[in-house]
Order: sequence, then structure tokens, then C-alpha cells
Amino acid sequence: MQSKKKSGNFRKAIEPTFKELKFILKRVLRSPLSVAGLVLITYNVALALFAPFICPPVPGTADVYLIPRDQALGFRIEPSAPSPTHLFGATRLQVDLLYGCVWGTRFAFQLGLEVILATLAIGLTLGMISGYYGGFIDEVVMRFTDIILAFPGLILAMAFVAVLARSGWSTLNAAVLSIVLIGWPGYTRLIRGEVLRVKGEDYIEAARAAGASDLRIMSRHVLPNSIYSIIIVASLDFGSIVLTAAALSFLGLGSQPGTADWGRLIYDGVPFASMGLKYWWTIAYPGLFIVLFTLGWNLLGDALRDVLDPLSRRK
Amino acid sequence: MEEENVVQIKDLYLNFYTYDGVVKALDGVSFGIKKGEILGLVGETGSGKSVTSLSVLSIFVPPGRLQKGQIDINIKGKKYDILSLNDATMARVRGKYVSMIFQEPRAALNPVYTVGDQISEVYFHHRKAELVDNTIAQLREDLKKASGLRRTIYRADLSLLEKMKNNPKSVSLRLSMKIPLLNRFQNRIKTEARKMIVQMLKSLNIPDPARVIDMYPHELSGGMAQRAVIAMSLACNPMMLIADEPTTSLDVTVQAQILLLIKDLQKKFHTSILYVTHDLGVVAETCDRVVVLYAGNVAEIANVFDLYKKPLHPYTQALLESIPRPGHKFISIRGIVPSLVDPPKGCRFYDRCDYTQEKCLHIEPQLVEVEKDHFVACHLHYGGS
Amino acid sequence: MGLREYIIRRLLLLIPIMLGVVLLIFAIIQFVPVMVRVSLYITGSIRELQPAAVQEVIRQYGLDQPVWIQFANWFSQIMVGNFGYSESTQEVVVAGLMARVPATFEIVLVSAPLIILSGIWLGVRSAVQKDKPFDQMTRIISILGTSLPSFFFGVLLLATFVGQLRWVTPGRLSPAMGTALALMIRNGEFTKYTGMMLIDSLLNLRLNYFYDALIHLILPTTVLVFIQTAVLVRVTRSSMLEALGKTYIIAARAKGLTKNEVIYKHARRNALIPVVTISGLLVGGMMTGLIITETVFLFPGVGSWAATAAQRFDLSVVAAYSMFSAVVFVLANLIVDVLYAYIDPRIRLG
Repeated sequence: MQSKKKSGNFRKAIEPTFKELKFILKRVLRSPLSVAGLVLITYNVALALFAPFICPPVPGTADVYLIPRDQALGFRIEPSAPSPTHLFGATRLQVDLLYGCVWGTRFAFQLGLEVILATLAIGLTLGMISGYYGGFIDEVVMRFTDIILAFPGLILAMAFVAVLARSGWSTLNAAVLSIVLIGWPGYTRLIRGEVLRVKGEDYIEAARAAGASDLRIMSRHVLPNSIYSIIIVASLDFGSIVLTAAALSFLGLGSQPGTADWGRLIYDGVPFASMGLKYWWTIAYPGLFIVLFTLGWNLLGDALRDVLDPLSRRK
Repeated sequence: MEEENVVQIKDLYLNFYTYDGVVKALDGVSFGIKKGEILGLVGETGSGKSVTSLSVLSIFVPPGRLQKGQIDINIKGKKYDILSLNDATMARVRGKYVSMIFQEPRAALNPVYTVGDQISEVYFHHRKAELVDNTIAQLREDLKKASGLRRTIYRADLSLLEKMKNNPKSVSLRLSMKIPLLNRFQNRIKTEARKMIVQMLKSLNIPDPARVIDMYPHELSGGMAQRAVIAMSLACNPMMLIADEPTTSLDVTVQAQILLLIKDLQKKFHTSILYVTHDLGVVAETCDRVVVLYAGNVAEIANVFDLYKKPLHPYTQALLESIPRPGHKFISIRGIVPSLVDPPKGCRFYDRCDYTQEKCLHIEPQLVEVEKDHFVACHLHYGGS
Repeated sequence: MGLREYIIRRLLLLIPIMLGVVLLIFAIIQFVPVMVRVSLYITGSIRELQPAAVQEVIRQYGLDQPVWIQFANWFSQIMVGNFGYSESTQEVVVAGLMARVPATFEIVLVSAPLIILSGIWLGVRSAVQKDKPFDQMTRIISILGTSLPSFFFGVLLLATFVGQLRWVTPGRLSPAMGTALALMIRNGEFTKYTGMMLIDSLLNLRLNYFYDALIHLILPTTVLVFIQTAVLVRVTRSSMLEALGKTYIIAARAKGLTKNEVIYKHARRNALIPVVTISGLLVGGMMTGLIITETVFLFPGVGSWAATAAQRFDLSVVAAYSMFSAVVFVLANLIVDVLYAYIDPRIRLG
């Protein structure tokens, strides 16, 4: 997998990583659990990508994540059982579950990616600066992370959502921002740790002596060497980010009613759950989708850790 | 001759089952260790020397697994095949008749227990009767001088101790070991053990043994830690000691001290020592005989003079030549150790040997006594079928 | 540094962190309009106040003044225990918190030992029997446990045992017993010693209440224990595997110690050291799990209270609860760190 593009310094440094990717993949395929993880993730990705084809949205809708209504079912509160037209049935107010679950996958990925990219961006920037320059900046950043990490995750997120919603934000946007706000300290610390580890190595001294700029050193040397830990953590975290978002939706602090969001769908199903297993589909399907998603990421994260950890130690 | 050997290893085959394949680590290793001798086991990393030494204790670390082989040990005239003994029986042999010291002394000690705790484990396991006897004797002495309440307490402890000696499985004894005030008699045994340990540590030139006993491994220097490990291994005066590169991780000066110590002890107790190392200098200084191991095969066995004066196996010759000498060019053996996942059919040293013949490629050389007490596995010296 | 200095240092570090926590909450609160923030200071519902009185509150606590003055006022109020009034549950915040802590604490008291004991036992055994059936089973269950959201598991149990089989009702006590209890308390026939049903019922010699409270604890405890144990098992297993691979284990075998002694006396103690470290995080996980579990099973603890308040954007409760949980979390981690420093001689003796 040789990259023929005009190589930036970053790409050149990453090249050996491409060769290792093949090796990693081979190793990952050894264990049945890792293979299962890979299969699950592929399935989820496929579902997310092909959602518009599996459950075509109503043309012209502004928000595709808002589950379209079937006029035939009306607005009855009682959930409809699975039928040929509605394979997974419908939950409260006749919200179709098939659309909800399938688009829920896409929703989960979108949300997860937004959060991870934002968190990584902040984490990389702050972590690099904090680790590389040390001193006062480092102290300040570390105190900030200490404070945020003093709260159990979900609880602080709830507080953020409550405040933002109270000042006019939509709960969904508030939820996304909140998860980013509780997530960046972890990555900042991780990357800072990696930077500190690499900083002590001799080739950094050499690069500096050769006159390389700080940015160049950071991007060309520090970053590629920290990639393994970042990958492992990010992949394990992706599942938990989506879980946190689902939990927030479950508590009514996430998406609006009628959104294709697994957590929200389960929230809608709770009153029916206390009546027994009669309306099982309202809980079972969204729950199943969540488990398949999270399980895939956990298995993959585990597999990656088993493979990459000894590799990074070997370095 | 074999009958006189303390330990006789016969045809040891051992494989490692790894993700990358089955590594045939030991390919028919055979040699014997005589009573009272220091036998050097020499080889590079990956030659299989550590695995062989652990086998003598019947310890196999996964993914390593014994394929076949026999290791006879001669305990008080009777021969036992170590590899056929079950783990519980073997546990009575380890530490008592055969013991081991390790390369990294502080790694060989459990960081969360004191040195004294760990040494006393050996005493409690193998010399319990003696300990109890000593405690009883001491207590009888104290009883003579005691009076009043103390007398009663001593009497109580004494009866419990005697019960422990004569009827260790009695229910009342077991119960009293759990009851808070009654079980204090066990402290007396511990005190006795402490006395014996202090003696032991003194004989190993450890300064201030009473203090060292209560220290944790990380508080000791490398040399001190190694002495502690040696104390553990010699606590029961074993007939055989396995020393797996005991001085490799120590400072040169400490190395010399430890070597002297080992030689001293061997002279005093007539312990047989299997000295595993890659350092030919140490071998020359310390060992009586030498076994040279290459890639899981025995290449040569000889007494130390013959080996250094007249090395027969090309590998041995190359090894001796590669010892760095001031003024001489640095020579290393060309090539690398072959992969043992798919080992060559003939001699495993073929690729790196300068004296190869046609049959070296196809036929594996057998170990043959070419001169008196000098064995070699090489076609060059009338070996192989 | 010795243990004493370590403890002192950690305790001192507590102050800036707590200050930071308070500052953060304050900063968050500043985002909402002034009118909403009024309920952080008053002890009655804002709806019952005259506009003039409301203005009085604003003036008194400087809600129209610069930030630092506001912070000083707010901080001083917190120090005397005035966390304001909860609009969503119509009670003074502090009182509401105090009333609900025992219920939550009861769940914790029952779950924690179960989590710790089963987590460690399963993890150690799994490591010792690596790749054998027991290990495979445990690993599958623990992976499932970390992938199963607590709310899904909880709702499943709710649907099955509460909804379908009707073996137990949601909440802390059965409805009939609950109302009877309220009456008894008012009549003085039942004294609330601790606020925890299990203990109080025994102290009042009311075994039927003990039994009722116990069966109502089963479901929330199951959810919490299953999920937290899964995490603990994985950490214990990997820690134990690492310990078993160390040289001192081979050395112990070489001394002639039996397999059991080697595993339980030597390996396990070392394996438990990292486990102690992460148990602080487990406390945080439990607090999070409690929010969801209490909500699902309608258990009247602080978790469900905070969840409801958050839903209705009731800031005084959310602010108070956040600070409360931060304090608990930080203290738990402090205790864990001290414990860790104590049991590892390498740290205790420097």
C-alpha cells in the first residue's frame, strides 16, 4: 500500500505504519473474538452507509434522523406489533422501529465521529503543547483536566446538558458538546504522556540539534510514535461514547422524541416495559442494536490492544 | 559412571507452542552431573540452556511443553525419574534436594514480602520438624527459668508444640492455631526460624542480618539480594544447585564476590552445581566440566582444561575465538542461530560452520566420546551414523 | 517519600481540586438567565415570591454584580449549607439530598461487597485457568457485561420481573407496605434510625419490612453488580496474568511451594495491587450506574432525583448533586491511593 501522493512529512513518517497494518490485520484475524469484533463493526458500518437504501427517507425532509410517520398507523400511543410493513414494529406514537434502529446506526456513527474528532483535536493540541513545552502551560492544563476528571463522567455531562438546554440549546447539541467536554481531558493526558515519553528519546535531541522546528518535531517524530496508544484508546472509547450518548438520551437529555436514536427509543419504551413483555419489540430491537454496536467496538479494541501493546513495547 | 551421577538428563525433547509455530527448543539433550562438581552449561541466548535448567526442577513454563525425556536424580542412593513425579511429590524435592538461583535476584524475590518471610518459607516447608524440635528445646530451657504465670503459658505452648511434633493432624491442634490467644505458640516457631536465618545470612557475609530479614527486596542492592536468594536456595543444604546466570546482572566487583561465595559453599557442602552462563570467562574460572549447548543440541562435553586447550566442535572453537582480547581484532561468529520452528535436518550449526561436509547437511551428528571424558557431536570427529 | 508525607501531600492537593470543582460548577451556572439562578439561594418556591422579594434576592446576593462578587456570595451560601430550592421536587435542596442518600447508600452497601468479592474471585480463577472452559465462559460474560448498557439490562429485568412476572413492584417497598410505613412513622411506631430500610426494619423488629426491602433491592443490585463486576473481572484477570508471568513465581515454585501457595500467597497479592488502584474508578462507575438503575426501578435515591431534576433543568439540584458526587469521587480516589501506597511496600517505604 504505497502512497504515491506528494509526501508531506507526516505521510513519510506514517509509511512504515502502512506496512505494519497488514501485519496487524493478520494478527487480529487469529483470534475468533477479534474476528467477531471485526465482523460486527463491518456490519455496523455497512448499515450506517446503506441506511438510505435500506430505509429510504421521505424525500424532502429536513432532518433525515426524524423517523417518518406512516399515515396508516396514525398517532396512537400503543405500540404496534411487528408486521410485514413494519418489520420491527412501532413504539410509542407509532414511531417505526426499523427506520429507527437502522438510521440509529448511522446516527451513532455520526455522533461518535463528531465527538471523537473534536475530542482528539483538543486532546492532540493541548496534549502536545502541554507535554512539549511543560512549565506553566502544563500546570494550567493539568489543573483543568484534574477538575473535570474529579467528576464521574455522566454526572458532569448531565449538568452541562441541563445548563445548556436551559439557556436555549437543543438537548441533542448540548449532549454532543457535553460528551466532548468530559472527554477531552482523557485524551489530553494520554497524548501528553506519550509526548513526555518520546521527548526523552535521543532522536528528538538530534532533531533539535539539526535545527528542526517544534512543529516539525511534533508532527514528524512525536505523533507517529504515539499513534498506537491513541488508536487503542480511541477505538475502545468509540463504543463508550455512543453508550454515554444513549444513556443521556435514555434520561431524556439527548435527542428529541421521534429521533432515530437507540437510547431515545428505549426511553420511549420504558412505560410499556413496566406492563410486561407484551411490547417486547419496543425495547428488544433498539437494545440489540446497541449491544451489537458496543460489542463490536469492545472486541476490536481488545484485539487491537493485544496486538499493538507488545508492538509498542517492542519499540 | 552414570550411576554415580547426581543428576542424569536423558534425551530431553521440548517444544514451545507459539503463534508463529512450534519451536523445537530442545532436540535430544543428554548429559550428567557428577557429585560435587561444578558443571558449566554454556550457550547463546536461545540455545535452550535456561529451559534445560528449569527442566531439572520439572518446571515447564507455557507455551513450553515437554515432549519426551527422562531426568534421573540420585537421592540417598535411590534413583527417581523427576519427570514422572507428580507436582505434589516434586514440591518436596524442589528447594530441598535441588534448588535454583536466578539471573535477576530482585526479580526472583516477591516485592510485597520481606526477605525474612521468603527465606522462612523454605524452612517451614522442608525443615519444619527440625524447627519444631529446636523450638521445643528452647522452650524447655526457658521453662526452667520461668515462674508463675509465665510458667503456665510456657507449659501450654510446650504442649501445643509437642502435639504439633507428634500428632500434627489433630483437630484440637488445628483449632488452637486459629484461636487468637492460643495460636501465639506459632510465634515461637517463627522466632526460632529467624535465628536459623540470621545464622545463614551471617555465613553468607551479609552485614547486619537481623535488619536485612525485615527488609523488602527493593531495599536491597543487587549483591545483597543475590545473597538472600542464595540463602534461600542453600537453606536445606541441597545436593544440587542450579545457578542460572547468577552474576550477569551484577556489577563486576560484586560478580567476583558472588562467584567466590559460590565456590566456597560448594567446597564446604559438596553441592553439585549446574552453572548456566554465556560468559566463557566465568566458566574458565569456576567450572570443572563444561557442556556446550547450541540451538537445542549438545555440541560438546569436556572438562574445562580440555575444552579450552583442545576444543573439538567448530562452534566451541568459534566461541573461544570470539572472546574479546585487547590488541586482537574483534571476531564474531558469522550468521545467526537458525529458526527452530523449521530446524535444519542435519547439523544445526551447518550454516555457520567453516568445516562442513556433505553429510553435515543431511545427517544429525550424535554425541560420541572421542577422547576420555571428551564428547562431541560433530561429523568431523567421527560422529553420526 | 514515606507514607505520612504521601498522605499529607494528597490531602493538601484536595483543596485546590475542590476549589476547582466549585469554580467549575459556578462557571456553568453563570450561563443561565438571572431569574433561574435565583432558586439557588432561596428556601422556598420562586413562584411564591413577590416580584419585589425576587428583586431583593437578586440585590442581596449580587446577581447583577460582577462575577467575583457573585462567586463570593454563592460560595459563602454553600459553606453554610444553603444550596437553594428545588423547583422540580418542591423542597429545600439540602433536605432533599439528605433524605435520599440513605436509600442510595443502601444499594451501594449491598452491591459493593458482591462486586469486589465476585470480581476478584472470578478474575483470579480465570487467570489461573487461562484458556480453559471456565476462563472462556468468564471472558465472554465479562465482555458482554461491558457491552451491555445498564439501562437496557435494567429495563429488560424490569419488563420481565416487574412487568410480566410481577414478582416485585418498582420502588423501595411494596405500595401497601410503603403507605403503612409512612403511617407508622407518623404515629411513632417506627423510628428511622439510619434511613436505610434493611437496618431500620431489623432495629424496629419488623421482619416483614426487612424482607420486603430486601426483595426490592435484588433487581437494582443485580444490574449494578453485573456490570461493575464485568469490569473488575477483566482488570483482575489481566493483572493476575501479569503477576503469574513474573520470575518470582518461578522462584517460588523452585523453592518447593505448592501450586496453591504460589497462586494465592504470592501471585494474588501482587495482582491485587493494580486492582486496588482502579477501584476508585469503580466508585465513579457505580455512581453513574446508580443514576440509571434508580431511574429504571423508581428507587427513591439521589440518582433518580438528579436524573429527574436534570430532565426538568432544575439547576439547584443538578449543581448540588454534581458537587456532591465530585466530593465523593475525589475522596474515594484519595482513600484508594492511600490504600495503594500502604499495601505496596515499594511505595510505603520509598
